[in-house]
Amino acid sequence: MVDTHGTILTNVNSTYSPPVGIGIHPRKAAEHHVEVAGQVVQQALSGSGDKKLVPDIISYSAGPGLGPCLRIGATLARAVATYLSLPLVQVHHGVGHLDLAMASTKARDPLAVLVSGGHTAILVHVGRKWLFYGETQDITLGNLLDMFARETKLPAPGGRSVESEAAKSKRLLPLPYTVKGNDVSFSGLLTASIKLVKTGNPVSDVCYSMQEVAFSMLAEAVERSLVQTQKREVLLAGGVAANSRLKVMISEVAKDHGASFHPVPISLSGDCGAQIACSGQLAYSYGGEISISESIVVPRWRLDEVDVPWIPLS
Amino acid sequence: MDTTQLDMQPFHRGAEADLFLTKIGPWKAVVKRRVRKKYRIPQLDQRIRSGRTIREANALSDAKRAGVRAPSVLSVDIEDFAIAMSFVDGEIARSCLDQLPRREQSRVLYAIGQQVGALHEAGLVHGDMTTSNIIISRNGLPFMLDFGMSSHSSDPEDRGTDLHLLQRSISTSHALDSRRSEKLIREGYSREFGDRQASISFLRQREIARRGRYFAIR
Repeated sequence: MVDTHGTILTNVNSTYSPPVGIGIHPRKAAEHHVEVAGQVVQQALSGSGDKKLVPDIISYSAGPGLGPCLRIGATLARAVATYLSLPLVQVHHGVGHLDLAMASTKARDPLAVLVSGGHTAILVHVGRKWLFYGETQDITLGNLLDMFARETKLPAPGGRSVESEAAKSKRLLPLPYTVKGNDVSFSGLLTASIKLVKTGNPVSDVCYSMQEVAFSMLAEAVERSLVQTQKREVLLAGGVAANSRLKVMISEVAKDHGASFHPVPISLSGDCGAQIACSGQLAYSYGGEISISESIVVPRWRLDEVDVPWIPLS
Repeated sequence: MDTTQLDMQPFHRGAEADLFLTKIGPWKAVVKRRVRKKYRIPQLDQRIRSGRTIREANALSDAKRAGVRAPSVLSVDIEDFAIAMSFVDGEIARSCLDQLPRREQSRVLYAIGQQVGALHEAGLVHGDMTTSNIIISRNGLPFMLDFGMSSHSSDPEDRGTDLHLLQRSISTSHALDSRRSEKLIREGYSREFGDRQASISFLRQREIARRGRYFAIR
């Protein structure tokens, strides 16, 4: 729950985590969502004290993401909205990340760097939309870390495991560095990193090298985009924004070009309800209410298709 | 040549390099020096800077030999990650393309397409093909710059990447009609490279553009 100023009232989470060495199975993740749904909603509405919170709008993440999981959220949102006779708003998951990050870091019109399991993108706001200035041509930074962790039997979440392993090493192993203009590509890096582990290199050395190479690639793409767009702010959002090494690198880039750096706080970097509430509330004030029959899910939904007229924030 | 001994005036600061104006013999020259990036660990930083300096110097002369308009390499200083090259008098396409009269604009876009086509025909790819890396000279001819990420390649993947990056830089940084721009660039490109080869590049370009996240399957 978020109020109209973007202040977070409650932010209740329950994350599905697969066993070590195994990826997320869409059906199992959806089953988890069904199990915890009632409890999460109840906790969110009960607030911190004894005063019950009464919502004015219900918003849900319509995509992008795994269909079975999105449908659980959408069904739940429809049910609550119908039961309480409240307006329903759909939110793009990535836009939710950006809106909460903007609200919590006071960025107005930044070069936005969104790094998560679903996105690795460098975005600028033009007209009513976020435009992709650069992005990954294959897997995301989150995919890279998670898939590497899965293959090398590191515990989930992969990003945190890789970061703590990397902290134990200072030895750079040779790995492919792929920047194409403002785009990056991580799939070759993933394959090469897994191969290094399988051929007997210490996991910590590989984690260190993979992080350095992957983050340097992104930092370079961000730097190019920053010089080309001449933006005065750099926003860092998404789950991978919790990584302290990445934060240092992107802040160096911003500082070097006289831009201010706005990293999303760690507690709000990963996927959370507050993102959807924050974005839903903005969308609602711009006429984003939809009917139940329109409340579909969109597993593939590109960020630059979303109408985001509320940016730059005033 | 040791470029640190030259009398140089700061001229421009790019994302990865500083540019200085100087004179080498009778020529007005630009020294491009790749600067250290604090965000990268020194080992990786050195590898990237020296690799790109060598790449760029080689590619510039290869491109020129293939008849592509680009600055001439006058000297390379690997220790200092610097290249001295001839000065091209003009304006960066990124900042002047929108202001040109419509007919002139069309001619320039077509000519840019021709340059990319000529480069590809010579078995080279640019690797960072954006309007920020093209200078339109005083007499309206496009010159290509910044070959640090270029390579020898006849792979449709790399050719498609050049076209994709160019097209995206036009759609994100210019007020031009991106359909019309693409058509003109493609005409120039096909003219230089031949329809058959060009169509292979265009097909891959489209595929690369759709590799971004969450494109709907339509």
